[in-house]
Amino acid sequence: MTPQEEVENLIARVAMGDRAAFNRLYDRTSAKLFGVCLRVLNDRVEAEEVLQDVFVTVWNKADSYKVNGYSPMTWLITITRNRAVDRRRAMKLPPVPIETADLMPDSKPGPEASAVAASEARQITACLDELPRARAHLVRRAYLEGDSYADLAQATGVNLNTIRTWLRRSLMALRECLSR
Amino acid sequence: MSDYTTPPDGPENEDDRVLAAEYALGLLTDEERAQFEAQLDTDAELRAEVVAWDEHFASVILEEVDEVAPSPQVAKRLQTVLFKPDKQSFWQQIWPYGLGGVAAALVLWLSISTGILVPEDAALQPDLVAELSPTPDGEGLVIRAAVDTTRGALQIVRAAGAPPDGRVFELWLIAGEAAPVSLGLLDEGSSTLIDLPQDVVALLPGTLLAISDEPPGGSPTGAPTGAVRAAGPLTPS
Repeated sequence: MTPQEEVENLIARVAMGDRAAFNRLYDRTSAKLFGVCLRVLNDRVEAEEVLQDVFVTVWNKADSYKVNGYSPMTWLITITRNRAVDRRRAMKLPPVPIETADLMPDSKPGPEASAVAASEARQITACLDELPRARAHLVRRAYLEGDSYADLAQATGVNLNTIRTWLRRSLMALRECLSR
Repeated sequence: MSDYTTPPDGPENEDDRVLAAEYALGLLTDEERAQFEAQLDTDAELRAEVVAWDEHFASVILEEVDEVAPSPQVAKRLQTVLFKPDKQSFWQQIWPYGLGGVAAALVLWLSISTGILVPEDAALQPDLVAELSPTPDGEGLVIRAAVDTTRGALQIVRAAGAPPDGRVFELWLIAGEAAPVSLGLLDEGSSTLIDLPQDVVALLPGTLLAISDEPPGGSPTGAPTGAVRAAGPLTPS
């Protein structure tokens, strides 16, 4: 069984109320999901509360997993990431500043580009690396840390409409690259 | 996830594709999100576009976010929150069973004298007895106790019902407002004989006995941790 099938199988058993499967799923995925919470919230106590909340949702909603068309880890990661971002926004955490000098569009590929290209890079990683480094950084901040447009505007000192235009253009370029 | 590929088509409208990405990232305002969700309800292609973005972004997380072990407390709290959802406090669970002791004693006395409860050790001369009534968590349990205070021995008989799989029954003595004192675990068989220290025997009249379910080996904390399954007062026989 591949790791993906294993997680899928555990979720299916959790949907039937199998507590042992729930505990296995927790052992198997909690460290990754806790990493996601920590990345967004940067606070162990808050992150652990969100993680607990996520697994309560997983226990209660495992039966809805099949219908929405996600792969198993994406389903878990999406729930976790969104829950952590909601918490972060409710707490009104100030964004980590971004150096304006880093934002100047340049044509240099991102620092990991060559290493990633050598390995089995995920499609999205490869496409992010095609973006100017600063733009890719904004997309990563929005996804990995849950920054809103307002957060990114505050973090960079760049006007909100400009940030939005930059990000939307980056997303269009990403989408174009992903469908190649 | 690595075998996932974005369908080359997807929504015709480039604006919709970007909106789907902004939605997946949580970048839309409340108003924009409500509008987009209304559109999602009727547009399967758009839903697939959101799923595709979520898949791509999740793969970034899989690749770039390090695993960090959460504290073991999270797993413990989950067990409590999910698997004992209606758990009341110990005191809430036992208080109704402090009543009706006389009737229970009579039932037990009848059981003993009609031979339903046969003391394992013929020498046991019970002077205190208890009928432990099942709590809502203990449906089907029939448990009785008899104490020979002269000998310092308590016999507990489980006439019907059993602990949940992988759990054991633990017997507690509750004297007034004091914290419950463990008297020991019930044997797997139907009858358990427990020796009582003299200082415990002195406490006995008018106290309450209660049974909780605990992990194998008994409560790890010294206080009841599982649900109270049965409880009843000790009364003179």
